[in-house]
Amino acid sequence: MKEKKHWQSFGEKIQSETYQEDLKQEFAEPNYLEASSKRRDFLKFLGFSTAAAIAAASCETPIRKAIPYAIKPEEINPGQASNYATTFVDAGDAVSIVAKVRDGRPIKIEGNELSHVYQGGTSARVQASVLDLYDNARLRNPLKSNNSAELNTVITELKESLKSGNIALVTSTINGPANLAVIETFKSKFPNTKHIIYDADSFSAHLVANEHCYGKKVLPSLHFEKADVVIGFQCDFLGTWLNPIEFSRQYSTKRKINEKNPTLSTHIQFESIPTITGSVADIKIPIAASQSKSILAALHDMVTKNTCTLQDPIIKEAITKTADLLKKNLGKSLLVCGINDADCQKIVNQINNAINANGNTMNWGTTYNIRKGLDQDFNQFVLNLNQGIYQHVIFYDTNPVYTWCETNKLQEGLKKTSSTISLNPKLDETTSLCKYIIPTHHFLESWGDAESKTDFFSFQQPTINPLFKTNQWQDTLLALAGENTSYSDFLKNYWIKKLGSEENWFKTLQEGVLNNVNNTNFASTTLINTTITENFKNETESNSLELVFYKKVGIFTGKGAENPWLQELPDPVSRATWDNYFVVSPKFAKNNLQIDLSISEQADAYEVKPAKKVMTVKVGEQSLTLPVLIIPGTNINTIGVALGYGRNNSVGIAAQGVGQNAYPLQKFTNEAVCCHNKNVSFTVKSETYSVALTQTHHRYDTAQGVRTEVIKELTLEEFIKEPNKIVEEREHELKPYGGIENFEKQGTLYGVYDKPGVKWGMNIDMNLCNGCSACVIACTAENNVPVVGKQEVMRFHEMHWIRIDRYYSGELENPKVTFQPMLCQHCDNAPCENVCPVSATNHSSEGLNQMAYNRCIGTRYCANNCPFKVRRFNWSDYTGADSFPNNQVTKVSPTTFDMNSDLVRMVLNPDVTVRSRGVIEKCSFCVQRLQEGKLKAKEENRTLEDKDVKVACQQACPTQAITFGNANNKNSNISLTRSQNTLRQYTVLEPLHVLPNVTYLAKVRNEGDFS
Amino acid sequence: MHLKYESQLREPLVYGEKTYGQVTEDILKPIERKPSKLWYVGFFISSALLLFGVYSVYRDVTYGIGQWNLNKTVGWGWDITNFVWWVGIGHAGTLISAILLLFRQGWRTGVNRAAEAMTIFAVLCAGQFPVFHMGRVWMAFYTLPLPNTRGPLWPNFNSPLLWDVFAISTYLTVSLLFWYSGLIPDLATVRDRAKTKFTKLMYGIGSFGWSGSTKHWQRHESLCLVLAGLSTPLVLSVHTIVSFDFATSVIPGWHTTIFPPYFVAGAVFSGFAMVQSLMLVVRKVFGMEDYITIGHIEAMNKVIVLTGSIVGVAYLTELFMGWYSQNKYEGYTFWYSRANLFSPYGWSYWGMMACNVLSPQIFWFRSMRRNIFVTFFMSVIVNIGMWFERFVIIVTSLYRDYLPSSWSIYYSPSPWEIGFFVGTFGLFFTCFFMFSKYAPVIAVAEIKYILKTSGESFKNKITKIETEPLDKFVDEQKHAH
Repeated sequence: MKEKKHWQSFGEKIQSETYQEDLKQEFAEPNYLEASSKRRDFLKFLGFSTAAAIAAASCETPIRKAIPYAIKPEEINPGQASNYATTFVDAGDAVSIVAKVRDGRPIKIEGNELSHVYQGGTSARVQASVLDLYDNARLRNPLKSNNSAELNTVITELKESLKSGNIALVTSTINGPANLAVIETFKSKFPNTKHIIYDADSFSAHLVANEHCYGKKVLPSLHFEKADVVIGFQCDFLGTWLNPIEFSRQYSTKRKINEKNPTLSTHIQFESIPTITGSVADIKIPIAASQSKSILAALHDMVTKNTCTLQDPIIKEAITKTADLLKKNLGKSLLVCGINDADCQKIVNQINNAINANGNTMNWGTTYNIRKGLDQDFNQFVLNLNQGIYQHVIFYDTNPVYTWCETNKLQEGLKKTSSTISLNPKLDETTSLCKYIIPTHHFLESWGDAESKTDFFSFQQPTINPLFKTNQWQDTLLALAGENTSYSDFLKNYWIKKLGSEENWFKTLQEGVLNNVNNTNFASTTLINTTITENFKNETESNSLELVFYKKVGIFTGKGAENPWLQELPDPVSRATWDNYFVVSPKFAKNNLQIDLSISEQADAYEVKPAKKVMTVKVGEQSLTLPVLIIPGTNINTIGVALGYGRNNSVGIAAQGVGQNAYPLQKFTNEAVCCHNKNVSFTVKSETYSVALTQTHHRYDTAQGVRTEVIKELTLEEFIKEPNKIVEEREHELKPYGGIENFEKQGTLYGVYDKPGVKWGMNIDMNLCNGCSACVIACTAENNVPVVGKQEVMRFHEMHWIRIDRYYSGELENPKVTFQPMLCQHCDNAPCENVCPVSATNHSSEGLNQMAYNRCIGTRYCANNCPFKVRRFNWSDYTGADSFPNNQVTKVSPTTFDMNSDLVRMVLNPDVTVRSRGVIEKCSFCVQRLQEGKLKAKEENRTLEDKDVKVACQQACPTQAITFGNANNKNSNISLTRSQNTLRQYTVLEPLHVLPNVTYLAKVRNEGDFS
Repeated sequence: MHLKYESQLREPLVYGEKTYGQVTEDILKPIERKPSKLWYVGFFISSALLLFGVYSVYRDVTYGIGQWNLNKTVGWGWDITNFVWWVGIGHAGTLISAILLLFRQGWRTGVNRAAEAMTIFAVLCAGQFPVFHMGRVWMAFYTLPLPNTRGPLWPNFNSPLLWDVFAISTYLTVSLLFWYSGLIPDLATVRDRAKTKFTKLMYGIGSFGWSGSTKHWQRHESLCLVLAGLSTPLVLSVHTIVSFDFATSVIPGWHTTIFPPYFVAGAVFSGFAMVQSLMLVVRKVFGMEDYITIGHIEAMNKVIVLTGSIVGVAYLTELFMGWYSQNKYEGYTFWYSRANLFSPYGWSYWGMMACNVLSPQIFWFRSMRRNIFVTFFMSVIVNIGMWFERFVIIVTSLYRDYLPSSWSIYYSPSPWEIGFFVGTFGLFFTCFFMFSKYAPVIAVAEIKYILKTSGESFKNKITKIETEPLDKFVDEQKHAH
């Protein structure tokens, strides 16, 4: 019988060319890189999304119903994010950002890459600010004498009372032109108004010294990208000083190594308390803050006259070498000093002038519009207040009752006024003393403009309707001034006038920034005053103890203390969370605390328990009792303490009972608030206090050698001399398993498979990472990582998916510090995957080590077997996603509980599952972003490109230390980075044959003559 | 094939010139009488401990594993330590019943019943830990390869934890069958002697209509032999598989090929120690000195000193390899985290060494082997030491592994972690008290096998030697070979 042939299509019937082609392709692996959407793929995606929806729906979590829009707003598509360019404004800082808005809620902040100043970089503070929007401690309506009041009543009442008497408007630095115009409008209505700018992070001395030396009371813009030699003097310019995001980006350009022609800037840091800047520096010299003047003067002498009067041999040698380096690099060097002392800054100006920094690495043509406050102005204000000169005080974005060193005087003075008005969003220390409170919007609810540097504008637009009955401060001032226009109209009209048309304004608003592209010339300036007060040159280098105040990257001047994400962010150097503490050197500990870290038993005893010794430090009348942490690299005569802690209870649950306020121990001298204080006495207490540390300092070496598989580090000299050193070291490590070449095949008994299609990979350049921790907060925000609170962190239960590991090397008193961002390495031969009894963690065809949360039964075997210890277990019901009711009370911290309230939950990323108790979680390489990127490429019918996918940590990184992408695409950034950096490249713990998809580039330090 | 055992040389396995009737009478005494006050006190304490354990587990299930002090680095602590410890204890029962049966070690009959019961209860206790250490225990059934509608989605057959599931459940099943089939003739004896209808009914059901016919006995013996054959490989496999939990991982201190034999030896070691502890109490409380004799105790002490020394060799081998391999990570774990007395957990390592390696050496002396107090003391010491061993392996390997950045703070258990452990003691002893009340703690039928022959032959021989004139004896000895 003749076989009957069925055909399904005309193509098959006539055996057309396309059909033949299709036939060949029938079982081919779909190539996502180039595939256009086919019917089959559509079904696949449909299947995937259905499966995902079913998976998500099958969790036995409490169901919360959402009500759909009756009339859907045009711009809101459920499930699709909109991005709005706006500006982060806090305490005078203005950072251009893009807010990601999902279903009407801003949930994530990313840097605005169009900004020439910040170039898409952010900091931990910026990343965390989105959480402040959903803060339960925000005031929800205006208050009058602690009672709720209607906005209109308050305004009318105030309008009347402000008519008579002197008004003091106390704000942080305000820098948008339209904002300043609002203040001008207010001032013109009330001519007896004095605008006092007060910055808790004061640059008073810099401004005074610049006026003295150059006749200009401004801060010039700094250009680390042009500096081959950077000298940091008590200056954490990568973490907390002036404009760290910009500086990080600039600095990183000189720290990037071109393998073929390796060069590096030289960075020498003089500091008393270890900071992240000192940690990444090539050379770090611990100094006493009180000696800075004499050291700076000595440096000045060495640079100009080649003489040195210093006694201390170590510092003398360092100064001599530094001066040599500076003289060799005239016009290519920069000295920055963070000491708020005009005398110091004057010498700094002299030195910068002598090394031709002016006009080369310092641009006087573009100056900073942030940190314009002068301490003596504020001091004068306090004096005037006490004299009863002001009848009315208006505070905005400043909290001097907390941050001013002589807070008692200020509080006394405030009592002498007839009305105090606060426009701050919370009942902070200052606001709680005010009679009238008209809380302002969060910046994500606000209109506004900012100009952090001359002619570099950034704009704010609301990304959400105001959540509460708050009133934007500009609106309040305009209303008080009797203006009828709202601030949004005011701003619009102002900028339309400036930009020429409404069209331009909308375009600018959409981009969020207006860069000054014309002014590229570097302006120099001339030194008009070269006198240096001579008296301190012979200042005796006394060995008395001193207290040094510093700021943490997250908490900063104290606002961060209200933010649970920032509280839980480990300090990059001390790795402590949820507390401030005294920082002392190992030598101090040996002499005064009887802890000798060089003896391993004593070091162990100090490390393994969170309970630390407690000390009381007394300065004059004021004293502070805090636990002591021994931080190598601290100057031996220095006790350090972080500012910003010890807030009052009404600023947020996160701040309650956390740390002590160190501001009252500061001193106003020499027209500025000094950041160190001499004449300190201390007593060691008998009790202990537990500090929540996330990492301890431990021995890195073993009897069999140093753990070189973890950190690879070398000096520039070594790298130039032996470029293959790291490769040889790896070859040596892998020799028993076939060497680098055959390692993948010979290191295992199992077969090695091809990895076609997309293969995600990440590269981290340890030379660029400065430990700023922006990535940690970005990851927390993107992936709904829970906050667990101090008690839990103390029990090593913190949940961060990415952490910044800190390693010490070298001598105990002044070690080198290396930061290593550590996240899931997405091993291709992952030890966690084969041990899971239920395959809850498995490998995707794209190289991802993925977690199926609803399959996980929580044996923690994977976490045990992870050599990198990046897996995190949900020890308690941190998220409220558990099916057991009422099991959070007293079992999770009050902060965690608060984070589960309906308001704070609005910050959650709906693309990421909120994990329930009892499951393991870890870095997913932001798989939700990868899926989105792949779909986007597919929709547009093109190959996946780098721009489609940016993971959260990569996006946040101000130094672009993290590269991410498809490693199978030869032209992707990740492939290029890897192929161009073969000499420094390694994977952590390579001989284990876990085959990570995260590669690291070894750290190179330019020690030059110093080593 | 029969289980008859005769020895010309050894002392009798049962003392006291017992008749068959006396044996039955003696052994069934605790069942047929009302329990003593001591029994009630013991039972009450055990149940109280069990209840505390139940409450501890309730907290862990309701509030999360965060009730325990485990952390991101030390993911297993007391939970898995206790699991391995209990599984280890469960080894003696099978060894005594199966391997000694196959090797025709007649002395086993005095202790096998209780040892088997102990095995079952220990495995029951052990099983609690891997179940309740799960973050989501209500999803524990995911580990079972059940046909399902989730894909179907199967467990991961590569995972040693899944192997554990099979190993432990198989072990429990076979041990239970073995134990119960041995119990059947004895339960029938109780039934036959029962004075109340209820007792008769219950034991009647329990003994499956055993009539003592030759056919029954023949089948019974065959079944016992088959089960013994089945259990023998289990003695080796269960702890081997448990050791795979560690041996197949990448963690320094876990990733060791020596683990399977070392774990099995350790398990037998701790199992025998536990049998000693229990039997010494049972023989005293129930007055069974005639059945559980000094000879038994000495034999078990010999096993203890042997396995203790094997374990000791394993410890030293590990240390040697830690140095010889020149692997930094292993070197650090073995030489710093463990062998250094002054490191944070150094005490646990040296506690283990002292308890497991040094102290059992006392049993090289015959007088010590036959000393009841020394034996009891040592049996407790050995079990403490073996607990330390598992703690050392699990905690000191985990708390400082590859990246010093993740090295943990000091891990010590929370009250609820301890409560869980204490609760399993409650479970174990509650079960054991019930067992001693409702089942013959010594295999009545099996004792009767060895009752006459061994004792009579020995006595005849000794009498012969003693009555013989010395000259003749010397002469005989001279020409003997």
